[in-house]
Amino acid sequence: MLIRILAIMTMLNVSAMTAVWAEQTPAPKNARLYIIWPPDGAVIKGGKLWVRMGLRNAGVAPKGVEMANVGHHHLLLDTDLPPLDEEIPSDRNHLHFGGGQTEARLEDLSPGEHTIQLLLGDDNHVPHDPPIYSNKITITVPPY
Amino acid sequence: MVRQIIASLVAIMIFPLIVTAGDTSAPKSAYLYIGWPNDGEVIRSGHPFRVWFGLRNMGVAPKGVDRHAAGHHHLLIDTPLPPFDEEIPSDRNHIHFGAGQTETMLELPPGKHTLQLLMGDAEHLPHNPPIYSKQITITVK
Repeated sequence: MLIRILAIMTMLNVSAMTAVWAEQTPAPKNARLYIIWPPDGAVIKGGKLWVRMGLRNAGVAPKGVEMANVGHHHLLLDTDLPPLDEEIPSDRNHLHFGGGQTEARLEDLSPGEHTIQLLLGDDNHVPHDPPIYSNKITITVPPY
Repeated sequence: MVRQIIASLVAIMIFPLIVTAGDTSAPKSAYLYIGWPNDGEVIRSGHPFRVWFGLRNMGVAPKGVDRHAAGHHHLLIDTPLPPFDEEIPSDRNHIHFGAGQTETMLELPPGKHTLQLLMGDAEHLPHNPPIYSKQITITVK
């Protein structure tokens, strides 16, 4: 009896976990996310730039659009990748481009080094499974 | 009477100039451009090359997705801009990117070719005002 209860509890647990995983949108096959510009190591005078966001073998769709093989860009500024199985935070280090934008304007970057990385989110701002993210690059803003 | 006829003739002549695009409005600041290749680029024959679609102050949305300030890319190859008040043709000179793609690979026969981008709305109609890039010329040899 006890074993049966344990077995049922285990099954429930497993199915609950599976359900959580199943909520993540499958990644488009061979999708590749990358930063077209700036290149790693770029020196950005004045701390203002357009970041051109590149995506291969997948499409861009605004937030809330549930379709296969699409997502929208998130730019991670001076931060590591967030947990990849939950909604991407929205703050000054995690910029959302829910309008389907493919370029990001950054302004007022302080002098010093900054890191930029891209992470694709699905219609609910959750990374795909497996997650699609770019290399992390470092740019330098010289003293004004 | 004659004056009325002339007036209506003038109206008929002017009216088509007013109907220049679809109903979907686009931000005046929207800027569409070809990120690569550059105008005048020479490309080696027999080698597919990548075309980058650059878009500022506007977003990308797949076909059928009706969103403010968004649309999908169309690449015009060796053809001038189509009429702005009709659906963008879909043929070998007008390539649709209805899945929200923001770049593509192309292979063209040797010779001079023109490339230009034009945004289309959910129904493949250009926006109002129409958003299109400069036309560039490349040489494949």
